[in-house]
Amino acid sequence: MSELESMLVPLAPLSPAQTVNEVGEILLDREYRRFLCLPVVDRGRPVGAISRDEVQSIFMKMYGRELNGRKPIFSVMNPRPLVVDMDQSLDQVGRYISANIRFPITEDFIITRNGEYVGVGHVVDLLGAMQSRLGRANSELTQACERLKSSRAQLVQSEKMASLGQMVAGVAHEINTPLGYVKNNVGLARDLLDQVGRRLAVCEALLARLVSGEADEAEVEASLAEIAELRENMGVEVASEDIAALFDDTQYGIDQISEIVLNLRDFSRLDQAPVDSVDLNQCFDSALLIARNAIKYKAKVIKQYGAIPKVRCSPSQINQIFLNLLTNAAHAIEGEGRIAVKTYADQRFVHVEVQDTGKGIAEEHLTRIFDPFFTTKPPGEGTGLGLSIAYQIARRHNGHLRVVSKLGLGTKFRLSLPLTEP
Amino acid sequence: MPGAIVLSSSMPPEQSTGPKLKPTLLFVDDEERILRTLRLMFTSRYAVRTTTSGHEALDILRRERVHALVSDQRMPIMPGVELLRQAREVSPNTMRLLLTGYSDLQAVAGSINEGEIFRYISKPWNSEEIRVTIGSAVDIALSLDNPPPDEIHPEPLDERILVIDDDPDTARQITALLDQRMPGRHRVVCAADVESLLQVLQQDDFALVISEVRLAGENITDIIKALKRHQPHVVTLALTSYQDSATLVGLINQAQIHRFLLKPMRGALVWRGIESGLQRHRAMRASPRLADRHQVDSPERQAHPAARRILSFFQGLGKKPN
Repeated sequence: MSELESMLVPLAPLSPAQTVNEVGEILLDREYRRFLCLPVVDRGRPVGAISRDEVQSIFMKMYGRELNGRKPIFSVMNPRPLVVDMDQSLDQVGRYISANIRFPITEDFIITRNGEYVGVGHVVDLLGAMQSRLGRANSELTQACERLKSSRAQLVQSEKMASLGQMVAGVAHEINTPLGYVKNNVGLARDLLDQVGRRLAVCEALLARLVSGEADEAEVEASLAEIAELRENMGVEVASEDIAALFDDTQYGIDQISEIVLNLRDFSRLDQAPVDSVDLNQCFDSALLIARNAIKYKAKVIKQYGAIPKVRCSPSQINQIFLNLLTNAAHAIEGEGRIAVKTYADQRFVHVEVQDTGKGIAEEHLTRIFDPFFTTKPPGEGTGLGLSIAYQIARRHNGHLRVVSKLGLGTKFRLSLPLTEP
Repeated sequence: MPGAIVLSSSMPPEQSTGPKLKPTLLFVDDEERILRTLRLMFTSRYAVRTTTSGHEALDILRRERVHALVSDQRMPIMPGVELLRQAREVSPNTMRLLLTGYSDLQAVAGSINEGEIFRYISKPWNSEEIRVTIGSAVDIALSLDNPPPDEIHPEPLDERILVIDDDPDTARQITALLDQRMPGRHRVVCAADVESLLQVLQQDDFALVISEVRLAGENITDIIKALKRHQPHVVTLALTSYQDSATLVGLINQAQIHRFLLKPMRGALVWRGIESGLQRHRAMRASPRLADRHQVDSPERQAHPAARRILSFFQGLGKKPN
């Protein structure tokens, strides 16, 4: 249904030949009181409008009624009235009316359907309709804004989950390798001990018989043969240095797993932000360990840690920045490259620089990389929030996150956190 | 029973052959400790070679007969998939296995499409399972010694291709592809649901199956696995938009799919898959021993009721799995 339909007043129109006097009479009729003007229609088509204002001004002139009263209205009407079509939207009508209406407002508007007159509409009704419509649009906008806010919060959360997920996958891989050989070694050791145990049992039985002096030659021979056979059939053939290596490896693997798990502690409280006095070198090392899987096959990490004082910060949040910078660096490197990490302090700040030999960031992108949702990765591969969150974390710590980059050469990020007042 | 591999059969004859005749395994991993534990584990039954370098692995493959190659995926310089791909050219009769702790879909798909691997083993592994798996790989490799030359098999007429997909476009595109590349030679039969699948299986014998992984939103990998188990000479291509590496690993180990192709389908790739799949099928027809190579693990469970129906259907037909 057309939006104009509700405003339509199907008023009987005037014909062009009717006189000014007649129109004056009609306008006085109670029924027509509400109308600012009357439509003039010729053979179904609107040709003009005569306003109450115009008629009044004719009559108010000296001898106006006598001079003009008998004239047909087409000689005094407005030949360009406001005409809108029933099919037009409220917006179109609103735009048209506000562009063409004359002030003071002395006319209503004529409504046609396919050019044929159907009635008139009041400007006041139009204003009312537009206003209620604005109200609706406004409340829709408010709702949309609310939805955006909450989906932004969700996206921030999902970026957090994504970096957590990435971390978990990396950690799983880091642990799976040592776990693989530790598990296997334990199985091997067990088999080995079983076999050694069986041999030992036969040896001891033989020894007991020998000590007691009851063993005869045939029995000794049989036992020796059994021992030889056990030795022959041993499922695992190992030299003693292999056994030593097996235990060394197992120990090494367990140490590796413990180290990874210990380092996970800092990442485990991503949501809370307990502020602590933190050694950023140590903090970076644990991020390196977690990101190792993403980096290992792409880049050599060169560490240049300075002697830096501890700073007050939330280690889990700073870790999130480091992890983000490291994985970004690894992603930027095509083939093999280097990631240089440098820490140093000046009078006011502790700085951590992460520099890669990756493909660099184009100048037009450089100003936008901290913008939320800005990403150059294909859809689904990045939320575009990683760096914007990192930036916000830095700001919240009264610090900075800055970037310089050169296409084809690489990118350097510098995180600066303020020194703790003594 | 296929899949139920008896441990002892995987051991080489013991006393009659000297230690020099032990079958050879080659392990490749960038972690030396992994190599050491594997060597200790297998050294009593096999001649074990180990290396951290893909290039050296290829040298070994060129120099000596290796029965099974077990490689990690994530390694510097040469990733596992690349090694497996080259190994396939250098030494086609070496069975290829991937042993890895983590790999993305792309790597798993590559191990199928380029490496044509026999099994995918996850780290950390189960020692009994890895013994059995490597044992059966070696058995197959031993049976392939002195194989018939890889001749081009004549193209028989009227090879039937089964398309399992609820999207009618897939069958249409494949028919168009075949009409264009080799008109009049093949017949494409389409099954859009489980019922019609059972029906066409009753009527026809197929050379090649091109299957979606899901039908009407339901995972049908169990059906694909059951099919392969009972008709090892049928070559399967997965053509799907469903991307999940765990599913894919199942399709390697339990269905030995020949290719894994992602939708939207790319004509040239699908055609190459069909062509090499039919070649493979003809080779297996000509020498059924080759079908052993496609031996599959038995799934832990036959969850899908249709898979159970397919099983009973095969049993009802009296088609004994070989």
